[in-house]
Amino acid sequence: MILIAAVSLVLGVACGRWLFSPEAAQAVECLSEPALWLLMFSVGISVGGSREIFHKIRQYHVKVLLIPAGVVVGSCLAGALCARLCGLPLGAAMAVTGGLGWYSLAGAMVGELAGPEAGSVAFLSNLMREMASFALIPLLVKHLNPYTAIAPAAATSEDTTLPMMIKYTSGDVVLMSVVNGVICSAAAPLLMNLFCRLL
Amino acid sequence: MTILILMCAGAAVGLWLFPARWQKGNAKVQAGLTAVLIFCMGVSLGARPGFFEELASLGLKSLVLCGASILGSVALVYPLTQRFLVKRPGKGREEKK
Repeated sequence: MILIAAVSLVLGVACGRWLFSPEAAQAVECLSEPALWLLMFSVGISVGGSREIFHKIRQYHVKVLLIPAGVVVGSCLAGALCARLCGLPLGAAMAVTGGLGWYSLAGAMVGELAGPEAGSVAFLSNLMREMASFALIPLLVKHLNPYTAIAPAAATSEDTTLPMMIKYTSGDVVLMSVVNGVICSAAAPLLMNLFCRLL
Repeated sequence: MTILILMCAGAAVGLWLFPARWQKGNAKVQAGLTAVLIFCMGVSLGARPGFFEELASLGLKSLVLCGASILGSVALVYPLTQRFLVKRPGKGREEKK
């Protein structure tokens, strides 16, 4: 996915810079809103299809929400605190960190809702977050606790960074990692939409 | 609002109507749509005057927000998990590694 996203971005920039006329560029940009609607419907289908996770959430009760709650609140607060430093509007900065590591969706959605500059920052920032997670997971397991290692991974803890969790932690932590990933994946589009619209 | 409604509609479809064997295909659809969206974003960026001059500052902003979001998440998750999830030794239970 990272290769597809990077190639799409580079191709798009090249086309916008050297190939397309301003009118053609505007026509291409009109595609983005219907594409976003379809994508959100498809993401909803993925979330709704995670039936086993809903059983596990009922089994663990409220404790299962501790990690995603910490991830969401911590990430959004960080965006709010850094908005001025980065020269971004408050809503855009919080939408960037509200991407929770889902770089492809964050770049696309924030780009559509808050402008292409914010979209690029959302893409790069969340991509860096995913990449940093690979290095941080073993360090956090060693120096803090295994559950905290889920925090940097955020929405990627159910797929891309899950093999790292399997390697460095135990069955219980892996389960929490998957649940956290599903909850963060469901929350990310809602958070980005909320912050871009309200602030 | 439209996005929220569409996502909820998708979740309802995923929960009650969508066969599990089609989820792989759904993931491919997501990848394709994401590629289209990122391409559109790239076109907007490339068409902006002065975009290439802005690239370095975009990278720095991204790094700051990445670092801050990781720190913020860890700062909250660590004390919560220490208090409520990590089992402590000395009470007949093992600390999880």
